[in-house]
Amino acid sequence: MELYVPILVLAVLAAGFAIFSLTIAPFTGPKRWNRAKLDAYECGIEPTPQPVGGGRFPLKYMITAMLFIVFDIEIIFLYPWAVAFDALGVFGLIEMLLFIVTVLVAYAYVWRRKGLDWD
Amino acid sequence: MNGIQPPTIEYGQLSPLLLVFGAAIVGVLIEALAPRYLRKSLQMPVTLLGLVGAFALVLTVVMQGVPTKAAAEGAIAVDGPALFIWGVILVLAVISVLLINDDNEFVASAAAVPGTPEEEDAIAAGGAHTEIYPLALFAIGGMMLFASANDLLIMFVALEVMSLPLYLLCGLARRRRLLSQEASVKYFLLGAFSSAFFLYGMALVYGFAGTVSLAGISDALGAVGGQNTLLLIGAGMLGVGLLFKIGAAPFQAWKPDVYQGAPTPITALMASGTLVAAFGAVLRVFWVALGNLDWDWRPVMWGVAILTMVAGAVLAITQTDIKRMLAYSSIAHAGFLLTGVIATGAEAQNALSLKGILFYLVAYGITTVGAFAVVTMVRDAGGEAGHLSRWAGLGKRSPALAGVFAFFLLAFAGIPLTSGFFGKYAVFAAAVAGGAVPLVIVGVVSSAVAAFFYVRVIVLMFFSEPAPDGPTIAVPSVGTAGVVAIAAAATVVLGIYPEPVLRLAEDAASTLFIR
Amino acid sequence: MTTHYLVLSALLFAIGAVGVLVRRNAIVIFMCVELMLNACNLAFVTFARQHGNLDGQLIAFFVMVVAAAEVVVGLAIIVTIFRTRRSASVDDANLLKY
Repeated sequence: MELYVPILVLAVLAAGFAIFSLTIAPFTGPKRWNRAKLDAYECGIEPTPQPVGGGRFPLKYMITAMLFIVFDIEIIFLYPWAVAFDALGVFGLIEMLLFIVTVLVAYAYVWRRKGLDWD
Repeated sequence: MNGIQPPTIEYGQLSPLLLVFGAAIVGVLIEALAPRYLRKSLQMPVTLLGLVGAFALVLTVVMQGVPTKAAAEGAIAVDGPALFIWGVILVLAVISVLLINDDNEFVASAAAVPGTPEEEDAIAAGGAHTEIYPLALFAIGGMMLFASANDLLIMFVALEVMSLPLYLLCGLARRRRLLSQEASVKYFLLGAFSSAFFLYGMALVYGFAGTVSLAGISDALGAVGGQNTLLLIGAGMLGVGLLFKIGAAPFQAWKPDVYQGAPTPITALMASGTLVAAFGAVLRVFWVALGNLDWDWRPVMWGVAILTMVAGAVLAITQTDIKRMLAYSSIAHAGFLLTGVIATGAEAQNALSLKGILFYLVAYGITTVGAFAVVTMVRDAGGEAGHLSRWAGLGKRSPALAGVFAFFLLAFAGIPLTSGFFGKYAVFAAAVAGGAVPLVIVGVVSSAVAAFFYVRVIVLMFFSEPAPDGPTIAVPSVGTAGVVAIAAAATVVLGIYPEPVLRLAEDAASTLFIR
Repeated sequence: MTTHYLVLSALLFAIGAVGVLVRRNAIVIFMCVELMLNACNLAFVTFARQHGNLDGQLIAFFVMVVAAAEVVVGLAIIVTIFRTRRSASVDDANLLKY
């Protein structure tokens, strides 16, 4: 039974975070009403009526998606390290830090070159 | 969990690689943080320092004694041939970067559609993509890794690290944007297609051997005797991926298109560096991993080599564009080099072939960069004067430039007293010793055919009347002039006194590839 | 037991390869290449199970990352040429010949 304590703690933390975010948001966030906010899927594209053939949408979406893919997939390398990080010790930690720093350099490039700006 | 040990990484041996990649990352940081007007003046020194520093590190590794064991848990082999190839790639990279430094060749803003106000604005603003420097550094680092990979996984990753920046760089020509972008798309789609073949071949070989390390595959071959469908198909598909990169027939179709469309400095880098690196990888896969399978791959390679030499030489005759002609010449040269790859046998024979190939790569690489440097200088209103007819009478308008170019062409043809002669001689002599006499005969005949079209260009330059509206000869920047001078000097020196480099190649080859 | 997976992987690879050869839209060709890479991944993972070592699974990780990098570079190139030509058909890109 004791084995499940960490999981339980994690569940409590997760639930606590969710409840905290939901309760604090109405008080701290700006309240600017617009029509798009009431849409079913709030990404800026009108879900209905659909244009013929799905229509074309701005390139900005693709850039965001590509940046997401590139940075998201790097997480793969964290996974094997996380499984064996105690066996790899300091060596693994330093190598992983070097890896993350390299990814961060790419991130800094995207950020400074306004790749993350929507407009 | 206790079975996992931290790997040992020989940072000293890998330092040249790490420096090149480190410089590339610093280059990206400069792009991110430095203001626009400073970027170029920061990028150039960082790039050159990285490359020259890496060359110095290669020398220190050699001074400390060539390692006899593969580094990084057997993933990267820093052996004699690898160090030699690293040195060659770095020298070629430095002179190519001098050429790349010429502002005029690259697009002001890749995102602007050609012929629109945005593009005019970008050109007026004097913008230039300084990202080309880190991209070139990543490609160069990938080339070095590709030639020293001792493990198919590292080889695949290196292949992509080398190719992806080159795909992008191909599309960045300032003039003739449509051609450049088309070259980029073609190179990318065909390159990705071929690397998928390489990968599936790797999967099948892994299925056969249970490992992707070259030494492990070689050991597994000994156990089975080499009659295994998985292995044969896998080896064939690996071969497709690798032969694509060296541009051997029947996988040569991309080469003329890409060489013509890409910005000429990038073409110079690709034609020299990529070929050198790809031959390093071909040798490693076919000699180290599949050495015991040579009865199976040799007949196929014979066919490929003959087809490559003949196709390169014959198709070059029909070309009307100077860069396309040089591309077909590069295909023919890949065929000549393949004769050396085929001529294996006992250890002494292997060392002889390897020495020939290494020397050929140096000689051909430097002359190629020089030839493309000359191409950048002969200009029309719309950019480089690519069409051969525009080169008519160049010898009368600019005897020095035409003379240097003629000299490079003679070196490609393998005329005595040029570096090309000794390169061809070294490879063909090794091939004869290895029992590939028919191949050498085909090689000599296609050399003669190739000499025909080189001479045709020379005749065109010197013995026909210049057109009244002929191309202008751009006053070269210091870098471009330096590249032409270095390449011409190297071609002369290697043609008259090749002993030092030959001896260096012999020393590098004597240890053969470590396993 | 693992044969089925290998057959599936070979089929996927073949579908991808044929797709590259017969389709005309650069994006679709590119998707076919990705299909080929994923077929390779399936083969790697299957062989890893067959041999009882982890190498193949590890290679699959690397292939995924390389494929992601290739997607980004590839789409960037294709979008650039699309904006210039208003078409992603590889038949329209025919300036480079002879």
